[in-house]
Amino acid sequence: MLVRCFVFIVSIAFAALVAAPAQEPIQPKLTPRIITATRQVTIFMGLERQILQAVQKKDQASLKAMLDEDFTIEIPNADPLAGEDWIASVMAKDYSLKSFTIRQMSAVDEGNFVLVNFDRVQESTLNGKSDGGEFFVVDLWKKSGDSWKLANRFVSKLSSQPSIPKAPIKPTGKQ
Amino acid sequence: MKVPLGKFRYSLALLFVLLASNFLVAQTIRDNHAGPGEKMAPNGDGSAAAVADNGAAPTGPAVVTGNGINYNGGPVMHGNPVPVYIIWYGTWTNTTGSNSAATVALIDAFLAANSLGGSGYERINTTYGDATGNVTGNLQLSSQIFDTGSQGTRLRNSRISAAISSALTTGKLPTDPNGVYLFLTSSNVTESGFCSQFCGFHTHQTLNGADIKWAFVGNTDQCPSGCEIQSTGPNSPATGVGGADGMINVITHETEETITDPDLNAWFDSAGQEDADKCNFKFGPTQTGTNGARFNQTFGGHSWMIQMEWENSRGGGCDQTLGGPFFTN
Repeated sequence: MLVRCFVFIVSIAFAALVAAPAQEPIQPKLTPRIITATRQVTIFMGLERQILQAVQKKDQASLKAMLDEDFTIEIPNADPLAGEDWIASVMAKDYSLKSFTIRQMSAVDEGNFVLVNFDRVQESTLNGKSDGGEFFVVDLWKKSGDSWKLANRFVSKLSSQPSIPKAPIKPTGKQ
Repeated sequence: MKVPLGKFRYSLALLFVLLASNFLVAQTIRDNHAGPGEKMAPNGDGSAAAVADNGAAPTGPAVVTGNGINYNGGPVMHGNPVPVYIIWYGTWTNTTGSNSAATVALIDAFLAANSLGGSGYERINTTYGDATGNVTGNLQLSSQIFDTGSQGTRLRNSRISAAISSALTTGKLPTDPNGVYLFLTSSNVTESGFCSQFCGFHTHQTLNGADIKWAFVGNTDQCPSGCEIQSTGPNSPATGVGGADGMINVITHETEETITDPDLNAWFDSAGQEDADKCNFKFGPTQTGTNGARFNQTFGGHSWMIQMEWENSRGGGCDQTLGGPFFTN
């Protein structure tokens, strides 16, 4: 019950996050600065990369081991995607994840749950056609013994054209 | 002579489109790898991007490469010592907790002469240099001021800049392009991204006509699970009050990086990580103090729990002191 309640709250938060940019007249710029990542960002950056690397290598066992048994993915204008179906789709021969970059990760620690969000830019193909782009991802990780399992994912595609991350711009002091 | 283009017009157009497509495909993103003539540069958010390589290469005896971190042509800070200026922002006068005069005194002691500066730990930084010389491994608190909240308690970058700029233009702090300015906030002050994305950051900016290098570090008691390795530190005044020790750990990180990459164009690796990023939250072997807290360094009359730093020699690795053994965690 607690998990369902938490997932419901996260769903609402995700919907709000996706809707927010359309409602905000000003998009804050990305400041040229080098951050010291929090412990959670350090940990979950590693876990998210492991998931994507498992998809890249078609390593079904590793991928399955990182997912909660009730794992689902929610996408706008689509039915929820069950974990088994998602695994089957990314392990299929006609899908190929060629490259990826994770950036702008935030992680909010709620004890037995950690809410992670980030931008994912990927180059991938489905049936030989480009399927990549830029995605905004919200992941809910659940504590499982000494490890973490991915319980829920909420994904929104921002663009079909992967935007190449820009190098830092030397600040002028006039910003 | 007139060239008979008529028959070839469509073939040429097709060839042009094919070539253009080829170029476009070649520009799509790759997984964190630089192509020929490119190098990786940090985006500032922990990721990196491929950018044109301007050919920066070791140009003097001070630059040593091949140790897992790259020199990208920019300057390092050579001060002996590098002067450190602190702006204590918010409330730092409480008698309990970590927003206290005890925290101010501890951080002042950490940055005083014959403490962090010149320690075996800080001398790891001497393995970094530029064409004119190496980092000295010496830094020292020069002066500090208190700002009880000129920009409010909900900060963002522009407000921090405004507070630092005010300190410089009013002469409360000197305008020193060769110094490091630390903007330290009490735990009742919020900064967008602090605790969820980062524990601190460093940048540089033209303020009062000079290229000012500054770093933000918040009181880590605002989020012990995110920014502290232990909630009670070796210098905690009470159990669970680890803010001063937590901040000191982040201060080492930011000062090391500001000195070796002040303009964000000197030392970082192929993934965009600077020297301290490569050892973030890695401490190496520790001992346990009388209050039960772990520590891994002793200098300046105190024990400290501070992350290791990447040494740019012997193949590269995280260590606790210059020339010491490398540790992976």
